[in-house]
Amino acid sequence: MTTLVLDNGAYSAKIGYSHDKVSIIQNCQFRSKTSRLKTFTANQLDEIKDRSGLFYILPFQKGYLVNWDVQRKVWDHLFGKDMFKVDFADTSVVITEPYFNFTSIQESMNEILFEEYQFQAALRINAGSLSAHRYFHENSQELCCIVVDSGFSFTHIVPYCRGKKMKDGICRINVGGKLLTNHLKEIISYRQLHVMDETHVINQVKEDVCYVSQDFYKDMDIAQLKGEDNTVMRDYVLPDFSSIKKGFCKPREEMIFTGKYKSGEQILRLTNERFAVPEMLFHPSDIGIQEMGIPEALVHSINNMPEEMQPHFYKNIVLTGGNTLFPGFRDRVYKQIRSLAPNDFQVSVVLPPNPISYPWEGGKLLAENPDFDEMVVTREDYEENGHFICEEKFDI
Amino acid sequence: MVLEKKSSIRVAEAGQRRVLDEATRQRRLNRQLDALEKDNFQDDPLSSLPPSGPAARLPAFSEGDEPGKKKRKTRGDHFKQRFRKNFQTLLEEENLSEREEPNYLSAAASPSSLPPRVFCSVCGFPSPYTCCSCGGRYCSTRCLQTHRETRCLKMTL
Repeated sequence: MTTLVLDNGAYSAKIGYSHDKVSIIQNCQFRSKTSRLKTFTANQLDEIKDRSGLFYILPFQKGYLVNWDVQRKVWDHLFGKDMFKVDFADTSVVITEPYFNFTSIQESMNEILFEEYQFQAALRINAGSLSAHRYFHENSQELCCIVVDSGFSFTHIVPYCRGKKMKDGICRINVGGKLLTNHLKEIISYRQLHVMDETHVINQVKEDVCYVSQDFYKDMDIAQLKGEDNTVMRDYVLPDFSSIKKGFCKPREEMIFTGKYKSGEQILRLTNERFAVPEMLFHPSDIGIQEMGIPEALVHSINNMPEEMQPHFYKNIVLTGGNTLFPGFRDRVYKQIRSLAPNDFQVSVVLPPNPISYPWEGGKLLAENPDFDEMVVTREDYEENGHFICEEKFDI
Repeated sequence: MVLEKKSSIRVAEAGQRRVLDEATRQRRLNRQLDALEKDNFQDDPLSSLPPSGPAARLPAFSEGDEPGKKKRKTRGDHFKQRFRKNFQTLLEEENLSEREEPNYLSAAASPSSLPPRVFCSVCGFPSPYTCCSCGGRYCSTRCLQTHRETRCLKMTL
């Protein structure tokens, strides 16, 4: 009997057998301008040479699975002969769902896993619970931890105590990677070059040049300087998908500060965009979203917890999700939490080496745990008791 | 001595301009925020082509995609309906506002206690001034001019 662990994110699926390693694959379909009739699924993206004007078809809306036909296509591809060759008769599945997933989505999930694919057993769980499992596994002396999961659709802050999810403390900030990319797209289109159709390219720009500022207004001042004094400024060479396959930052010594580049490359000049975009995670109100930023929400969430637990949360803050990969993210969270937390509390903010696959690794550990068989719902259980047994056993 | 009160040109000018009320400003902001949730800005490259069949838009679940798998019995319409709901419908169906326990709605982060920071809507740098027509921000006369020509009272984003 094998176990497949699938952290089913709204942007990327983290998938792999529990005895094997993880693969990170886009959880969506694409259409390209060059071959309009064909729809590319998940890693078939590699077949598209010209990735300009890439059209995304996403299974998720605001972080919740709604386009089941798209999801089914992606899963068929992932489970099928080209990729994981799943033998459903001999496989259990660990699959993640968002916090407070809607009842009807949960029921559809049961039906699809057990009736359509016919997995032998399933465990549906929140990605944060897997992260917490992983964290407690490595830090067995700790009693509590608080997981910050900043993904594509939104950012969740979830306290866990002795492996138990504290529902009262869950806090959601409606800022995620998608919003950051779209915002960057919009300001670049307004200020220099129309890139509204280039979600894929601009997402790469975001990953390559954006960072979290440690001193926001100081960086703003630097970004306003002219010429070489402006250490924030970067020139980004856009891909043309013929000679330049992937965009990149011009090395500083090759930058021309006054005048134009002679080579015919298309250049984006980025200054305050580099740090003003990720800043929305810390100040959503900058673009008019009336919500707390990550550090404030963390403190708010911890304050909702019983007093005796609070010091334990401050020293076990775990960062997961793709947005935490912005350079400076951990240091900024630490700095702000340190200044907001009571003086005598120890503060520790952990950024794991691979924050995207951290929950998946937790799922891998869980699948090898002796208690795992107790946690799953088997197909017989489901056929006997239906949705009821899943509702009883799974804590979504 | 009585000084003749000199009226400001700016004030006189401002009086003639259309000023958006608070509700309109909020609507514009909401529209901008909704735009940030969009998956794509452009149209589907396939949309100009006709669909391949009458059922092309329905999820083709039990169509026997997997070879060697026996075809499952057809489900009622209610099943197909469930797979076609969007986020908003699902949210309304859950009727969360009447629930006691923590849920999707109650988990939303509350407004920040910090004062909002303001940035020039043109160049993105900190900005001390507010456009009196639309409430947008600007930092210099140069940016104000760009703002008036491109954004202010215009429906573009």
